[in-house]
Amino acid sequence: MDALNLAILFTVDLLALFSVYLIIDIGLNIQQGITGIPNFGILFAVAGGAYITAGLSTRLALPILGIQTNLDPISENVSILQLVNPVLSSHPVTAILLFVLFLIIGGAAGTIMGLIASAPAIRLREDYLAITLLAFGEILNVIGAGYTPLIGGPPGVDLPDVLAWAGEYRFYAASFVLLLVAVIIYAFAGYVIKTPFGRTLKAIRDNETVARALGKNITHYRTASIMFGSLLCGIAGSLWAMYSTAVTPTLARFDWTFLPWLMILIGGMGSNKGTLVGTAIVVTLNKLITYYKYAFVGILPFDVIWLNYLLLGIITILILIYRPEGIVKETSQTRQPSARKTASKQG
Amino acid sequence: MASLLQVTNVKKAFGNLRALDGITLNVEDKTVTILIGPNGSGKTTLLNVVTGFLKPDEGSIGFGSADITGLSPQQIYRAGIARTFQIPAMFGKLTTLENLLVAEKNHPGESLTKSLLKRLWAQQEKDAIEKASKILELLGMPEQADKPASFLSGGQMKLVEIGRALMSDASLYLLDEPVSGVNPTLAHEIFRRILSLREQYGITFLIIEHRLDIALKYVDYVNAMVSGRLIAAGPPKEVINDPKVIDAYLGA
Repeated sequence: MDALNLAILFTVDLLALFSVYLIIDIGLNIQQGITGIPNFGILFAVAGGAYITAGLSTRLALPILGIQTNLDPISENVSILQLVNPVLSSHPVTAILLFVLFLIIGGAAGTIMGLIASAPAIRLREDYLAITLLAFGEILNVIGAGYTPLIGGPPGVDLPDVLAWAGEYRFYAASFVLLLVAVIIYAFAGYVIKTPFGRTLKAIRDNETVARALGKNITHYRTASIMFGSLLCGIAGSLWAMYSTAVTPTLARFDWTFLPWLMILIGGMGSNKGTLVGTAIVVTLNKLITYYKYAFVGILPFDVIWLNYLLLGIITILILIYRPEGIVKETSQTRQPSARKTASKQG
Repeated sequence: MASLLQVTNVKKAFGNLRALDGITLNVEDKTVTILIGPNGSGKTTLLNVVTGFLKPDEGSIGFGSADITGLSPQQIYRAGIARTFQIPAMFGKLTTLENLLVAEKNHPGESLTKSLLKRLWAQQEKDAIEKASKILELLGMPEQADKPASFLSGGQMKLVEIGRALMSDASLYLLDEPVSGVNPTLAHEIFRRILSLREQYGITFLIIEHRLDIALKYVDYVNAMVSGRLIAAGPPKEVINDPKVIDAYLGA
């Protein structure tokens, strides 16, 4: 394979990962960056979206496609998909409808996880809340591994390939679809942050007592924020499951909690644009480290698998010391019309 | 003259400390009243109880003709009582203008679902920006509108606190030390603006303040508190010549 092809494959694969992370990071930024809820348990919503989509996908695809079988959708999942996937690849419209349905399921699952996580989030603050939510993040892996009807236990389960209609271009089409969803969500979140709703969330983050004195219902807004953020995380989990067409109960804390936090930290908390920048930087760096680290086998005095952790850890420390506010600073949106007029006159 | 705020026999204890020990106090409509007393006499506790941040152990609080005892801070804000804080507390990353806009009451754009359709809230947002700009003008700080509030000076933050309270169109304002740490010129200016607001909008102020040299020139009534009780109330001259007040607060 020539270098150009390799570069294209690398980039296309990177775009899919970037899209999934961008959606998660936007969800995390709304909670941590905009509202000040340190959600270390976003894995809860991501895994909720991924596992519930995966668990329901084959069960729903069978009746929708009108396939009759006595096989069990979870334990005999591979045999069933040999029946389902050919139908999906020849019925693009149905496949796309299923894709949308699974996205909605993922979003709904994430929202429910958010509602559950909001129970501690409206009662606890800062470090206490962070620790509690961190624990929440681990729960679904335990359930997923222990309760086989969900996603088949440790071996996991495969999903019907709702992107199979693209045939030999499936790899490219999948990345494109993921990117499209991410871009729509990016624009949507940018809008929401600029509304008076977003402004109220920021006010609560900056000073909860004063916000209460100004008549804001803090419980209501914290719940709304965590549910909205979790909705996005659930969508991301569902997208990731559909993209990889397989899910195991092993979504890792490093990948789905630490990396998103690092991304919003580097990009700049509270800024939608910063989230985009941070996501792009960290996804690319992590991928490059993974790709090139084996070149250092024998040169480094330790196992190269630790390079991702090591280098990204160093970057985290450097960012916290030298640019704690991140690359893109939070900007305010509502301007005084008269001031803008004066400024443009002077300009 | 009708009294706007009626605090009747309110008690509030923190463990063994009786912060409010059966205080009874009235604030007359459209007046500027200050509340004085030594540190720890319960002034801020009283303010917290009136605004719902603390629940009284006993007693009742009436506002106009309504009983507001034990309501939540949001409910009390909506009923028409706005407050400021002793230590100016800004929404630091929001601009000065946005700090005021947050205080807008019943803004449809503040609900997640309604915020999604801009036409449901665009008009109120426009009106709120207009109102906030007018208030900033009134406070003499229109140039600060688009600056992040954390960049303001201490005195300017005090003004923004008052401005934010004004956004609520409340009828009663409780100000906690509005001029402490503010230079004398600006302090006089703040009180002059309080008086002009009272003239323009007919609103009522209850102000906690230690700077009597400045405040007494402007206020209608003085209430003096010691150890959670009201020891004197009346026109400034009467109260500051009261031996009990001199003994407990003013000193010889």
